[in-house]
Amino acid sequence: MSTRAHECLMRMYLEEHNLESYQGSIPRWCSGCGDNAILTAVQRLCRDEKLRPEKTVFVSGIGCSSRLPHYMKTYGFHGIHGRALPVAEGIRLARPDLNVFVTTGDGDCCSIGAAHWIHAIRYNMNMTVMLHDNQIYGLTKMQVSPTSPKGLRSKTTPRGAFLEPLNPLTVTLGIQNASFVAQAVDWIPELIYEILSRAFHHKGCSFVRIIQRCPEFLPELLDPWLHDPNRTLLLTHEKGLQVSASLSRVYKNQREHDPMDIDRAREIASAGDPIPVGILYHNPSVPRYEELHAIEPLRTPELIQRGLEAELDKFTIWPQEEAG
Amino acid sequence: MGPELQAHVAFHLTGKRMGAGLQAAEGLRPGLLARFADLTKLRHDFPLVLVAGVDESCIQSLSTLVNRILQVIAPRGIAGEATRQHVLRLERELRTLAANGETGLLSRLWDQAAKRIGAADDPALAGSISRALAALAFDGEVVDCTHGLPSRLVTLAWKTLQQRKAERRALELQRFSLRLSDILRADFVRSRAGTSAERLQASVGTGMEDAFDFQAMSGTLAQVSGKDPLPDSRRRRVQQALSLLVARQPGTQAVAAGPDDLDSLVFANCRDALAAFRDRLPKIIELVKAMVIAELEIEGRYVEATHDPFFADFDESSVSARDLNLFPDYLVCIGSESLHSPENAGLMEILASEMPIKVVVEVSDVLEEPALRAHLGPVTTAAQLGRMAMGLGSAYVLQSCSSHLYQARSRILAGLVYAGPALLSVFSGSARGTGLLPPYLLAAAAMESRAFPAFTYDPAAGPDWVARFSLDGNPQPEADWPVHEFSYEDEAHQRATEQLAFTFIDFVACDPRHAGHFALVPRAEWNGSMVPVGSSLISDSPPGVGKIPYLQMVDGDYVLQRALADEKLLSAAHRCREMWHSLQELGGVRGSLAQPVTPAAPAVMAAAAPAASAALPVVEDPEPGQRSDDPHIDTPRCTTCNECTNLNNRMFAYDANKQAYIADINAGTYRELVEAAETCQVAIIHPGKPRNPDEPGIAELMKRAEPFL
Repeated sequence: MSTRAHECLMRMYLEEHNLESYQGSIPRWCSGCGDNAILTAVQRLCRDEKLRPEKTVFVSGIGCSSRLPHYMKTYGFHGIHGRALPVAEGIRLARPDLNVFVTTGDGDCCSIGAAHWIHAIRYNMNMTVMLHDNQIYGLTKMQVSPTSPKGLRSKTTPRGAFLEPLNPLTVTLGIQNASFVAQAVDWIPELIYEILSRAFHHKGCSFVRIIQRCPEFLPELLDPWLHDPNRTLLLTHEKGLQVSASLSRVYKNQREHDPMDIDRAREIASAGDPIPVGILYHNPSVPRYEELHAIEPLRTPELIQRGLEAELDKFTIWPQEEAG
Repeated sequence: MGPELQAHVAFHLTGKRMGAGLQAAEGLRPGLLARFADLTKLRHDFPLVLVAGVDESCIQSLSTLVNRILQVIAPRGIAGEATRQHVLRLERELRTLAANGETGLLSRLWDQAAKRIGAADDPALAGSISRALAALAFDGEVVDCTHGLPSRLVTLAWKTLQQRKAERRALELQRFSLRLSDILRADFVRSRAGTSAERLQASVGTGMEDAFDFQAMSGTLAQVSGKDPLPDSRRRRVQQALSLLVARQPGTQAVAAGPDDLDSLVFANCRDALAAFRDRLPKIIELVKAMVIAELEIEGRYVEATHDPFFADFDESSVSARDLNLFPDYLVCIGSESLHSPENAGLMEILASEMPIKVVVEVSDVLEEPALRAHLGPVTTAAQLGRMAMGLGSAYVLQSCSSHLYQARSRILAGLVYAGPALLSVFSGSARGTGLLPPYLLAAAAMESRAFPAFTYDPAAGPDWVARFSLDGNPQPEADWPVHEFSYEDEAHQRATEQLAFTFIDFVACDPRHAGHFALVPRAEWNGSMVPVGSSLISDSPPGVGKIPYLQMVDGDYVLQRALADEKLLSAAHRCREMWHSLQELGGVRGSLAQPVTPAAPAVMAAAAPAASAALPVVEDPEPGQRSDDPHIDTPRCTTCNECTNLNNRMFAYDANKQAYIADINAGTYRELVEAAETCQVAIIHPGKPRNPDEPGIAELMKRAEPFL
């Protein structure tokens, strides 16, 4: 409920933001790291959508990717391992006025945080989730992650990884209430931006997996795809992505895909090579938990005090009543 | 031409019955209505059940409710047949009760109907009825299609919406108050008084007072806080807004109308509603001003230099229809007979404004008394009210008939939530002197015959007529007249079937006041010169020399009769058709200025859209102009990985999108260009040809550069 006069007055004083307005501290990712491309796309998105920094929050878990909130000049919450999504859900419930973004990695989301990932998709709360998938634990110097390719030699798999990698797209598309599932690759920054922009405008949990290079530990893993544009499959549709002419000259392997077609989306997601890039699934009519679940609308000081006391009472040791 | 035919022609042209053969068509009804002799035996939308609710569920149809119950309690096939028959019997009885004027809660009428059909003596029937009652999802007031239904129905929906709106508003005012209190509280706890030793001690509670030195604590806090207290002007502003918001919360002021005082906002004329609105307006302006100030203060964006002058002149012009929509609406329920001169002016003033006043006009008569006018036709002012209001542009307009209110329920609710005035003009079919047919049938006949067609005009629905105007609710909207199958037993006792149009003339034939426009022709005089009225009204040309239009009618014994229609009636029907055509044009069904847009057109347009968008990429960007001899970067493909800028941040720089370009080619060597190309993760740096052929190791560098040219 906002008055027209208030909107007019706010419009009179709209601040102009440039990219620097959203740049926090200097990134400490390695040179060549794909996280930089994601960070830049996110900053561009914030600038172009004129998001007010004080109305925007980035939530992360643990890992290289999860350092991203430090590099944004917005609110941020660098949380605990695997728990970015529940923290973000709490923020969404308590502060529905904020733009909520989540940055997580393949270890953070698909291993320790896998349960939260499944339920966050099912709850479909309005937020943009970016899964930075570099297929390795980079921050802790090269241990195998759930999405590492089979046979990968790492500190924890010196004889090569035994298992087939987990496919975050097929998992997400298999969860009830999935409403927006997309994939980007860090070497096509134009499409990271376009996909994140679509994800941001979707009302619900937008899940974007971004395949990224780790130049430090897996420098050549994705080279075959980088050097052969035909091994990237761009998914286009009038309701999905529309690719610019200049990009089409390089990436000629394109296919029209209706993002409402979940069966086709699952089929595309299952085929790993060529790598599909675009919006696999988008259904704006999936209900959002925060709208279904009525929470206490007014957080009065009394309500907060009652809640705190109830929590603290759990740890109170009451003197035993004397017998008799 | 024989004397009988001459008499027929004379009647058609003059409206005078000459000779003994022709009689006035009294006690007859149009043939297409023959099958609707007893409405209580027909499953139709009525009676309705009015339930408290803010969505479409607030208006329920008894037959739909019963269908849902049967889906739950009666299994498919023969197993559920007995239950189905029992419950449908009860439904029929409920319908009879409602038709006899019984009203009240559905549960009460349910019991009454059960008794009347002898449930007490039949355990199987009683069992079915009690199971059905247990499965009844709603209880509400049962209303039949009678005089006063439109006002009753709209008032109930309106009250529920107002209550919901009041709850939302109260919550919002509380939220504003809470957030403003937070500002004052935060200022206090940082102030000298807030950090005093006494207050600090009080905040710790009992039991631990001795563990702290509150004086020292207060002294320390005084050094680090309270240096930047709230400016007096801001504190005053926040306090003023807060006190107003608190004062206007429910239970403290009438302006925040709660459920109790909703009746005071329902009016029987426009004048009183306007007076009440103007009376309350100053308080609303004051409250909106406090809300805007609160919003700015909560955001921390109040700038005195620019906002103070704005709020100094905050008046009626600063408040929009959207702001007024936060507050209670006003409801006016009037009958068309009261639309005389001053009332009409009041109504027009409301509809041309942005005032949140919803007006229900119950039109009881579409055809005026024949004695009052020389020409017959749908000419009453009340019948044209919807069209006039639509011309004003700012009001939501719904026109419909009582019989179709169930189908129009979502559009009624849309009108009630619309931010601005709304006119709901409903033909109730309950005019005096038209008692031959029940109001439901008369109202439905008005809709079918285009005498009172349904339409909706919603100014908020979009920028153009396609989005704003809708003919939803009309039967066969693409046709001039709806056509139905008409079956009867002919003289040889065989089944005969015709396709008959239900025209304006059929509607007039329902009204005994206009029986004089028809002449009943004895069966012996039926001849080939007589043509059905439907075919006469299809074309604009007259029926032809010697052709006389007749209407298929039935008498009290359900015997088929033919009644001639006079010329006045025919021209009135033509005028009605023209008015319907103009609505069809607005609705895009017919187009005189542009290519006709049929209902199938949106699909055609949708099919064309991909072709248009697919055509877009044909206009390709020109190929990049750089030759391979010139060093360049495919900037849009840069992943911002910092490799090149780390190598030489004067030669390579980032643009506004933080993507790399060659800022100064002279700021580095060819060697650096080649090394940057080699380290670039996505291989988008093209070093080109060296500018300085004397650079050391140039031959080797050129060889290394080759893959990137």
